[in-house]
Amino acid sequence: MASSAAPSHHSTSGVQSGDTLSAGPELAVRSQGLDKIFPNGFQALRKVDLAVAKGEVVVIMGPSGSGKSTLIRTFNGLETIQGGHLEVLGYHLDADNNQKVVSKIRHHVGMVFQSFNLFPHLSILENVTLAPVWVQKRDRQTVKKDALALLDHVGIREQAHKYPSQLSGGQQQRVAIARALALSPQLMLFDEPTSALDPEKVKEVLETIRALAAEGMTMVVVTHEVGFAREVADRVVFMDEGMIVEEASPQTFFTDPKEERSQLFLSRIL
Amino acid sequence: MAESPRSGPWSRPLLRQIRRGLFASPLDTVITVVLAVLCGGGLWSFLHWVFLQADWAVVVENIRLYIHGRFPVEQVWRSWSWLGLLGVLCLATLMPARMLPRPVLRLLPLLWILILPIGLLLLAGGLGFEPVKSRFWGGLQLSLLLTLGTVLMALPLGILLALARRSSLPLLRWLTTGYIELTRGMPLIAVLFFGQLMIPLFLPEGWTFNRVLRAVLSLGFFVGAYMAEDVRGGLQSIPKTQLEAARSLGLSPLLTVALVELPQALRTALPSLANQCVASLQSTSLLAYLGLIELLGISRSILGNPSFLGRHLEVYIWLALLYWAVCILMTSLARRLERTLKVSDHH
Repeated sequence: MASSAAPSHHSTSGVQSGDTLSAGPELAVRSQGLDKIFPNGFQALRKVDLAVAKGEVVVIMGPSGSGKSTLIRTFNGLETIQGGHLEVLGYHLDADNNQKVVSKIRHHVGMVFQSFNLFPHLSILENVTLAPVWVQKRDRQTVKKDALALLDHVGIREQAHKYPSQLSGGQQQRVAIARALALSPQLMLFDEPTSALDPEKVKEVLETIRALAAEGMTMVVVTHEVGFAREVADRVVFMDEGMIVEEASPQTFFTDPKEERSQLFLSRIL
Repeated sequence: MAESPRSGPWSRPLLRQIRRGLFASPLDTVITVVLAVLCGGGLWSFLHWVFLQADWAVVVENIRLYIHGRFPVEQVWRSWSWLGLLGVLCLATLMPARMLPRPVLRLLPLLWILILPIGLLLLAGGLGFEPVKSRFWGGLQLSLLLTLGTVLMALPLGILLALARRSSLPLLRWLTTGYIELTRGMPLIAVLFFGQLMIPLFLPEGWTFNRVLRAVLSLGFFVGAYMAEDVRGGLQSIPKTQLEAARSLGLSPLLTVALVELPQALRTALPSLANQCVASLQSTSLLAYLGLIELLGISRSILGNPSFLGRHLEVYIWLALLYWAVCILMTSLARRLERTLKVSDHH
């Protein structure tokens, strides 16, 4: 999984529609006063302000129910927003949740889920080629070649013709990463990518994500893996009760947290 | 006692099982003996009837009628050709996949759709074939044609109805829910009566359409409503996370349905859908009461012939065998399809 063997579409130097970008070319995500209120009235996000620079790796931590998953799910429109403003890769989104904008964002943002969510009726290879063929309408043969290269990159090329149910959790998650990368995203979102894995499988998935970070991919990772955050994150964002409580470099956050709630959280997990 | 290793006939596993299952106590023994005498007696008198009393001439002499109905004798090869093609297609589908060349394997679904128009062409005529009016279609050939037509109409209809029933457009949702509930609340025979007798009354003078087509339409609309519910069940079994994965990959709602939801839903619904297909075959027999001489209809008219007076039992046993054979064929086709799709099924 040497990072030097990265296929070209792993680079984050994708074309940027500069004219739609108001906050300078360096930001991948910017949220301002973001509110998320679920139909049952529960407010999951309260005026969240967050900026993620291009090439940056941001790790979001926090107790369960703190809104961290909800936050990154708003970044690709899986959750609608009820207030505030969101800007992802130059596309602007607010409470009207324009579906056209959302679908454009999704073409450039990859997402990896806690429970992998591979398509069980498709082979590993078909899982990876589905979106490039049908969404990007690229040539099947090229897509297949690229997909095999990606699977090789995450170390599962031999399993290309198996089905998800025949793979271990760690392997499935690596396929899910390859599937998201197949669209050459400029931003990758990871929603607790190792939480559903057996302990011995966590490492192989984290290695894959780490390699991706080394290649310069912009990433927002929701995780409880402190070791990973310490090593890979450029910045740790701590959330609680739908608000960002503290933002700091991993060194500062793990050794000298400022806020009481961060200290309490860290004392429980460290 | 049975556990203690000892010699003698009861020590063999099979015998031991028989003894434990059937002769464990005196009461068990009595029940076993009484039931054995009853079953044996029944079987004896049945076999006695089959081989000594029954007159199978009513079946043997009318084989052609059972299979082709009153199809003109000089054109009967067309009916045979269609049944032959259907048989070959069944065989090809049932064969282990690796014994078939890949192109044929890929074409199988298309062939299953094409076999209907091919059948219509062969039976009805046209394109150089001499026309044969649909009132001369009959027997097994007509039953199979009706079943095939019904299934090929009901399945797409069922899928569309199931999708419409969970549409975000309230009007569409209400209409389909109403349609499905109404259809499921009606007896099939009433629907068939409506199709055969009422529709022609509503059409303008001189407008008629083929009664076989009317039968297929009525059956198709009816079975479609049931299939819609099976497909809906399949759709509901798909976890929401699958949709999220599809959406986050940028798949449009239409692509999500076509590439992610339906393939999985149909897999789940397959056993129930196969059930509906078998039920469709059985339902075609109701058309005997509406003047179509399909398998049951032609049998009734054979029984009406004075030379075969009172041979009901022979005819109905023969019919049961025929329907049973076709059902077995249909369920094995369904099982075959299930096995093909199974690879990815166990998560």
